[in-house]
Amino acid sequence: MAELKYIGKPAQRVGGLEKVMGKTKYVGDYNLPGMLYARTLRSDLPHARIKRLDVSPALKVPGVLAAITSEDFHNHGQFGFPIKDMYMLAYEKVRYVGEGIATVAAETPAAAAAGMQAIICELEELPAIFDMDEALAPEAPQVGPLRADGKHPNFLGHYPVYKGNPEEMLKQCDVTIDQKYETVMQEHAYIETEGALGIATTEGGVVVYVSCQSPFIPRGHIASVLNLPEGRVRVIVPPVGGSFGGKDDLNYQAAGQVAALALKTKRPVRMTFSREESMIASYKRGAMRMNIRLGADKDGTLRACQFKSTYDSGAYSSQSPFTSWRASIHAMGAYRYDACTVDINTVYTNQGYAGAYRGFGNTEVCSGIEQAVDEMADALKMDPMDFRLKNCLKVGDVTPHSQTLTESVGLTDCLLAVRKMSDWDRKRKNYSNQPVNGDGKRRGIGVAALFHGTSLGAEGADEATGTIELHDDNLVTLTSGLTDYGTGSRTVYTLIAAEVLGIDPSRIRVHLPDTNTAKDSGPTVASRATMLGGNATKVAALNLLQNLDWAAADLLNCDLHQLQRVGESYVGPSEEPVSWETVVSHAREMGLVLSAHGKWTAPLIQWDEEHGTGIPYFAYHFGAQVAEVEVDMNTGLTDVIGLWAVHDIGKVIFPQGAYGQLYGGISHGFGYALYEDVDYMDGYLQSVNFDTYLIPTSADMPEIHGGFVEAEFSQGPFGAKNIAEPAMVPTAPAILNAIAHASGRRIRKLPANLERVMLGEALKKKASTVSCKVALNIT
Amino acid sequence: MLIEFTLNDQPVSVEAPADITLLALLRDYLKLTGTKEACEVGECGACSVMLDGELVNSCLIAAPAAIGRRVVTIEGIHDADGGPNDLQRNFLSHGAVQCGFCIPGMVIAGEALLTKNAQPSRQEIRVALAGNLCRCTGYMQIVDAIEATANERIKKSN
Ligand code: FES
Ligand code: FES
Repeated sequence: MAELKYIGKPAQRVGGLEKVMGKTKYVGDYNLPGMLYARTLRSDLPHARIKRLDVSPALKVPGVLAAITSEDFHNHGQFGFPIKDMYMLAYEKVRYVGEGIATVAAETPAAAAAGMQAIICELEELPAIFDMDEALAPEAPQVGPLRADGKHPNFLGHYPVYKGNPEEMLKQCDVTIDQKYETVMQEHAYIETEGALGIATTEGGVVVYVSCQSPFIPRGHIASVLNLPEGRVRVIVPPVGGSFGGKDDLNYQAAGQVAALALKTKRPVRMTFSREESMIASYKRGAMRMNIRLGADKDGTLRACQFKSTYDSGAYSSQSPFTSWRASIHAMGAYRYDACTVDINTVYTNQGYAGAYRGFGNTEVCSGIEQAVDEMADALKMDPMDFRLKNCLKVGDVTPHSQTLTESVGLTDCLLAVRKMSDWDRKRKNYSNQPVNGDGKRRGIGVAALFHGTSLGAEGADEATGTIELHDDNLVTLTSGLTDYGTGSRTVYTLIAAEVLGIDPSRIRVHLPDTNTAKDSGPTVASRATMLGGNATKVAALNLLQNLDWAAADLLNCDLHQLQRVGESYVGPSEEPVSWETVVSHAREMGLVLSAHGKWTAPLIQWDEEHGTGIPYFAYHFGAQVAEVEVDMNTGLTDVIGLWAVHDIGKVIFPQGAYGQLYGGISHGFGYALYEDVDYMDGYLQSVNFDTYLIPTSADMPEIHGGFVEAEFSQGPFGAKNIAEPAMVPTAPAILNAIAHASGRRIRKLPANLERVMLGEALKKKASTVSCKVALNIT
Repeated sequence: MLIEFTLNDQPVSVEAPADITLLALLRDYLKLTGTKEACEVGECGACSVMLDGELVNSCLIAAPAAIGRRVVTIEGIHDADGGPNDLQRNFLSHGAVQCGFCIPGMVIAGEALLTKNAQPSRQEIRVALAGNLCRCTGYMQIVDAIEATANERIKKSN
């Protein structure tokens, strides 16, 4: 490949300038003349039948113009993907504290709140389930929808991977491990809360600006619940203030609600959530209970893995079928086994609800398996780094899914690099022999590795389309149906198009995702924007380039293959160089079309859901992280002194962006390891704002040392793979392994807060319904 | 009531209820939406502004408390030509910006720190930013940008 000019070089984030100047308009910054404010009445019971719902008193409140319930939607506003078990507003039942019941639109936020309080809503409390282990008991109250197959309605799905018989093989192994691990729910804590703005159009349709990840999904939902043709619904995603997987279902509800209210009132209607409403109503990372058995030979060869777990989806399925499937594929870690089975059962309860969150199931299972692998290394008296290096996946290996890895497997290089970078060997040895010193502080160092399938895998059809257009002013515009919610994908597309076209990135603009101008490219999830959207952009740019090359060859009187580029200019064998602008205007004179679209379809993969075997993903990201900690043995306080991370993300396209994703991902993993815990008690959230739900601050975070191994993937754009999700996946187990090394205490239930590190368990607190109830009623 | 103060070096006078916050005054009455709202309990720093040179959370300040004082918001931070200043340029070149929602507050917090401490250590920067939450960046590149700006400003003044 020729020397790359823009890819992998320092670049400025698209849209960054407006952000540092404070000029970026997020949805909550929109103000239209005559705009109304919407507010939703939400359930203050975890499980109840709606006995009476009357919005007419709200309409008498001064300033209130409209109020809607499930009756105002086609088919009661039922929606959901992949399972249609949700409603735009609750229908007949509520299943979690915070579920929307009715929405009012009013001239002022205060009038909207007063209207909300005037609504008559009588709820009849139903028995609820708060423990995932009780969800499938025959007498358990029904939370999920009735199933055609007659199985328990609280059963959401079973996700297996099967290779051989580990049960038998474990009996033959020299050393075995059998442990339980547990993760808790995590709040996305995007700094921008949810929001949507609906505007009725003159032809009876609606335009919705909504802070979300995937505009084509709400377009479909809105069209269906408002019974409009899709062409009458336009969804635009303004700049999104963080998402991390968190801006789907709840924002789709907000979008549907403001759309219905805008149609009803013929006025623009905006809804923005307070932090409390956001935390109470939004979905979280789901909790998981795991039982992991591992078997190995004396020489340190891993032989068998048996992984069984339950995943709690809460009141709705949301993305949990996909989360659980991804969890099952990654549950055994990035290692070779002779026999390996995974069984994940996902259930409904009334503990809020779970949806997509960075890592998407892999974050949960990795915190289990990477601790189990460490415990196995301990049992074998092997250095955990050596143990991983001995057993980790390499090119040519067959995974437990029966997939042969043919290229781009950089895990060994990641482990070796992070070992060196963190000074592992010296520290591991020193800390293993440290005396208990006077101040009661002990240091430790731990490692965790991961693999992470790129893009959707066998979750769904995997393709994306990008468009490119060269305008009269010689600016190039790109569109993509995939959203840049802070990830940097618009910058990635700019650099790819610049590289292909051989022009300066400053000539390129990227449109906001808009269902009117962009092509449906599937959801912006699974860290797929670079691979899918990047390839689509590349194909589109190549199509445009071809036309420009024709024009250049015509101008320079030569064949296409004789063309060369000097800077942006074109040079032929004999003539003087011609500028890019000259080529562009010549192309126009020749009547060539200067717009194109490019579609990229991922390689075909297949998964046999019943037999748990197949090719789940066409490529994998690999990585390894090391954490160094100091544990105060007297208080249980863990100080993370340093973090090192080396990831194989394929070719790095936008370095500052890739490092930003790495550091940011690690901060989510850091919080997950040490203190983040969405504490639902009997269905009521205890922490409803940042004063009690703590996320890492700049003073909490240590310096992070990052690096990339670029094991290029032949089908990625310029060899790129992905980074956003996997950055956070190994952080928590690396920290937990370091704590175990330092203190000798193995924390098998997240988070490793003071109490768990100190006492081995969390202190019981009394459940309170107060913060939820107060917050939902604030005017 | 009439609220008169100096906003980004310009005198302003605005009629607004006495019981609103400075944040609401800026966003809803003066239409300056660069200052963000994200918690309203003084925990996130998205609403950071400078009040007489001090970094404050505008969601915790009653609007009338601004009377007769100097308020600087993100809209008041720029170069003489209206473009980004050195700190803002460093945010861009160090990759310190992702979703951007925390960034106005971070820039204000950075400026507030640099006026008090021209040569902060990385640890001092981290402590100074501890009231400004960012969920995207892990703070590394934000610290880098502030550190680089401090170094450049020191060099320039020497
Ligand atoms: S909005 Fe003021 S500190 Fe969060
Ligand atoms: S850049 Fe997104 S919160 Fe800081």
